[in-house]
Amino acid sequence: MDPKVNGQLQHDWGWQIAIYLFLGGVGGGAYTIAALNHFLGESLELSTTVGLWIAFPALLIGTLFLISDLGSPSRAFLAGMKPGTSWIARGTWIITAFMVMSFLHLVLHRFTDVGQTTGGAVVVNIIAVAGIVFAIGTMAYTGILLGASKGIPFWRSGVVPVVFVISATVTGHFAIMLGTTLFSGDASTLIGLRTMTLEAVGLVVLEVLAILFFLQEAFRFPDARESAERILRKRMFIIGYFILGLAAPLVLMLIVYRSTADGGVGGNATVVVIGALLGLMGGLILRQAVLICGALPTLNMAGFKFRRIHRPKEPKPDIGMLPPQ
Amino acid sequence: MPRYGAVIDLKRCYGCYACNMACKTANHTPPGVFWSRLLKGEVGTFPNAVRQALPVLCMHCEEPSCMEVCPTGATQKRDDGIVIVDKDKCMGCKYCIMACPYGARYSVEKWESYFPDGLPLSPLEEFQKKAWEEKSGIGVATKCDFCLDRITEGKEPACFEACPANARIFGDLDDPNSEVSILIKKERGQVLNPEFGNEPKVYYLLPR
Repeated sequence: MDPKVNGQLQHDWGWQIAIYLFLGGVGGGAYTIAALNHFLGESLELSTTVGLWIAFPALLIGTLFLISDLGSPSRAFLAGMKPGTSWIARGTWIITAFMVMSFLHLVLHRFTDVGQTTGGAVVVNIIAVAGIVFAIGTMAYTGILLGASKGIPFWRSGVVPVVFVISATVTGHFAIMLGTTLFSGDASTLIGLRTMTLEAVGLVVLEVLAILFFLQEAFRFPDARESAERILRKRMFIIGYFILGLAAPLVLMLIVYRSTADGGVGGNATVVVIGALLGLMGGLILRQAVLICGALPTLNMAGFKFRRIHRPKEPKPDIGMLPPQ
Repeated sequence: MPRYGAVIDLKRCYGCYACNMACKTANHTPPGVFWSRLLKGEVGTFPNAVRQALPVLCMHCEEPSCMEVCPTGATQKRDDGIVIVDKDKCMGCKYCIMACPYGARYSVEKWESYFPDGLPLSPLEEFQKKAWEEKSGIGVATKCDFCLDRITEGKEPACFEACPANARIFGDLDDPNSEVSILIKKERGQVLNPEFGNEPKVYYLLPR
């Protein structure tokens, strides 16, 4: 069979959706880590505060990007009408619940003393647990949304949600490290820096394994393989994601981890900031690359494989009439 | 109540694109939108290679994945089996486009001229744009509806009527005496990519 016969790239979901998926992941990841740190005690107070400050705005901005991509934004309120079958409808409810939880947690944590009272602490803890559930739901949803798309074989894999959950945790973690460092002004004041760099290393290694597994899975199916080959030919993916978005933060976090072995952490703030920024950039590039490399499946019947016709976005140049005088 | 479906005889189809043109004329689809399309496929290697034309339209599936993923309920399956989009309910999320494995759906952000270099719309294009906005809408999902307005008038869908080779047959799949039912049974009609599980209602008669 002619290997050149292939599907056509989708172009209906672009960078706005990539940012939406990215910010949804960052919000979910940052909140999960912040809420877990909330349970781990006062030594991680700063990272909890930073995580809560990141989660809600990230979700809000991400949702605005989604709405901006809608063909009829004024009907966005209909998005949750069919949660029985549609993952966008389910996601709408999950993200809405998550936004409410993250906003309540932020307000109670930063602007009230409710957490200081016994009854209030219980309420905050309940909100935190519910928030973690919806945060994980949001992270998974960003992957399931793609995984449930029957028309794009590259996305239609159970591995996609796993990759997106891990990547969301990584980006959320880097966002907290970045915020904590910037808030404190110096990494030396970052309590638990060694622990956080070690966690970052572990999470990045996990993401590398997940993305390799995802690509290996894609290579097993001809239509998905086309997309996998395409993504691996993209400089944006190889340099922007693999080298700068994964390898570089991994090395930088290892450097910070080694240099803090003797208890001294001075001078690492810049390294942490650069590493975290690169890690965040990698998360965004991953989503954009996965989106733009999604291709429609090849239609086939009785041994014939059929090309799809080109759907030009712009009319072909150099044809047609002269402009009116 | 009939259950509409179609048969496309690939032995007769010679790839003239009349179906594409008839659809564009009847539905005023803008540039880049082909509710009725023609794909070209090939099998084998030189010198034993064969080319084949494949007309494709919305398969009006029994289990439409586009309807399943639609978050607003805009995509609906009528009692006669025709899958339609309610443009007043669609919010334009384009998830149905990602969910349709047959690539039958389109979303149009702007009705642009067929002519290049930013030329203004011609009077005919102005008419087409207006007709498109009234029937299908801007920013929402659009697709073939088996020319619902023509069916209501007792006519065939435009692409079926235009086929010069009589390769396209439209009819009631539930009527055992209809031409489509007889052809599907007699000539073992097949559907595209049955592994998708959508149970399309457009059948193909294979080339010999």
